[in-house]
Amino acid sequence: MTMKYFFLKRIVEIIVIFFVIMTLFFLLFHFAPGDPVSRMVDPSMTHEDAAYMISQLGLDQPLFTRYGIYIKNFFQGNFGNSFHYGEPVIQIIGDRLPNTILLFTTSIVLSAFAGIFLGRITAWHKGKLIDTLGTILALVCHTLFLPWAALLIIWVFGYQIGWFPLGGILSPELWIQPETGYVAKALDVLYHMVLPLFTLCIIHFGSYMLIMRSSMLEVIGEDYILTARAKGLSNRQICNRHVAPNASLPVVTSVGLSLAFSVNGGALTEIIFSWPGIGRELIFAVTNNDYPLALASFLFISIVVLVSNFIVDIVYTYLDPRIQY
Amino acid sequence: MALKKTYLQQARHRWLSVKAGPYLAFFWQNPIGKWGVLLLITFGLMALASFFPPLIDPMYHPMTGVDPNISNVTPPAWNHWLGTDYMGRDLFSQLLTGARVAFMVGVSAAFMSIVFGTLVGMTAGYSGKLIDTLLMRAADMIMLLPTLLVVLLLSSFIGQLSIWTIVMLIAVFRWPGVARVIRSQTLSIKEKPFIDAARVAGASHFRILFRHILPNVLPMALLFMTFRVTSAIILEAVLAFLGFGDPGTVSWGMMLQWVWKTGNMFQAPYWLFPPGICISLITLSFYMIGRAMEEILDPRLRKEKIED
Repeated sequence: MTMKYFFLKRIVEIIVIFFVIMTLFFLLFHFAPGDPVSRMVDPSMTHEDAAYMISQLGLDQPLFTRYGIYIKNFFQGNFGNSFHYGEPVIQIIGDRLPNTILLFTTSIVLSAFAGIFLGRITAWHKGKLIDTLGTILALVCHTLFLPWAALLIIWVFGYQIGWFPLGGILSPELWIQPETGYVAKALDVLYHMVLPLFTLCIIHFGSYMLIMRSSMLEVIGEDYILTARAKGLSNRQICNRHVAPNASLPVVTSVGLSLAFSVNGGALTEIIFSWPGIGRELIFAVTNNDYPLALASFLFISIVVLVSNFIVDIVYTYLDPRIQY
Repeated sequence: MALKKTYLQQARHRWLSVKAGPYLAFFWQNPIGKWGVLLLITFGLMALASFFPPLIDPMYHPMTGVDPNISNVTPPAWNHWLGTDYMGRDLFSQLLTGARVAFMVGVSAAFMSIVFGTLVGMTAGYSGKLIDTLLMRAADMIMLLPTLLVVLLLSSFIGQLSIWTIVMLIAVFRWPGVARVIRSQTLSIKEKPFIDAARVAGASHFRILFRHILPNVLPMALLFMTFRVTSAIILEAVLAFLGFGDPGTVSWGMMLQWVWKTGNMFQAPYWLFPPGICISLITLSFYMIGRAMEEILDPRLRKEKIED
């Protein structure tokens, strides 16, 4: 099996899974107690607008036709209008999705690197003070309750010390001025991103670090490490060139497995830090009974999870040359 | 005949008849396990103590009890050890009740997801082929979904969630991990000679599954239960924190929601800290117990040998 074939197979798998998810939620939408029409059509619309909406979403058609229209609408980006905002759902999603991807990817990459880095240090100094302290730190961070950690971080850095803003993604007064350059804008977003990013990294690096530590210890016991030592390589070379690259593979696997979990954390962080992302929009939509927006945000979040899963697979094959498909 | 009997005996009570003493001693020697159990006992005592405050004075009732002299957030005092919330309700008794709710939700949701996951995992591993593929594909798919967001989306259809609906939802979405592990265990146990012996002796599939395979996968299922308890407690707390909790009960997540939503977060650290510390510590204690159990079950992780 060639690599190309493997990736093709994965892509087909992802598409199938996505269709199953879409179908399940379609069925849920239409068979859950209550009226499907009232879920998709804004109750505050005029009669004509509502009739137009119903015909466009195919709600007056039999189930199979309706399913076809649902799939077609999805590919045309037509999810109806949000009840709460009164705008097309796709516009809101398009607006929020980049923010979520920015926070999500940066936090995952940063926490994985932090976990690998700290796990390497603690495993290399096994049994010493730094190992004990690092392991305890990782355990505590791993079991911290995310919303509480976020509130605590806001309380400390946003309120008591006051270094960082309490929430939001940008300072409007800066963005309104026409003379602000791109660099200043990017720095502003970065400045607002520090606290949410810090929260997510604290929560996620713990488990990566524990995995890295135990897999380092396993690799250190291998014969080829003994060979490396016998060749007269320095400790540093053995650690960086022979142990760490092999030991970091399980971390990549666990990043892939914990993506769904990270999305949950991301949504919580977004809502606490008022980060205008898609997870926050989903939670708001559920609170406001804004069904079209809730469904569409959920579908897009699943796409993010599936695609990042695929990317993790690619990274894994790139990191591990032993893999043969 | 003699051979058959020994194999069957071995299968029947392999796990149940093992002397638990050395294992318990080993568990207790492990500082992680010991501190985990001690922490858990503390929370158990808190949960038990939660029955008393309302008996002392109705104003200490966590939900309905309001101190007649207080109508606002107040700092800790002699009659309110942790202070009161925005309605004058006692925070300490709310905290105690939170422990009870956490145990209730955590243990029942974990138990249900373990039962379900074990059944699915055993069936998949034992029957193989098409059933195996189908069940494991379903498990893979559920594992890809962000549980919290799915539960939130479902709650918009169900309406107000009661504590038992939350428990059911958690159980429904938390079985795949267990099922995968139990399946792989079943696959290896299936090949052992005592299963063949049981089959030759004429045992039905049902009997083989429940009398011969189940006792052998039970330790692993118990281990996973400790991990599932934590994830159930966290999920319930998060739902309550976001305002989707059962309005009839007080949980730690709900206390955090109140302090966050009423805007007392910055002024009332005595209200912000305790519930968060409790959730984190109960998670930590179950996690530590799980790690210590893992060391007993997985000989590779052990530092010293158990003599039995």
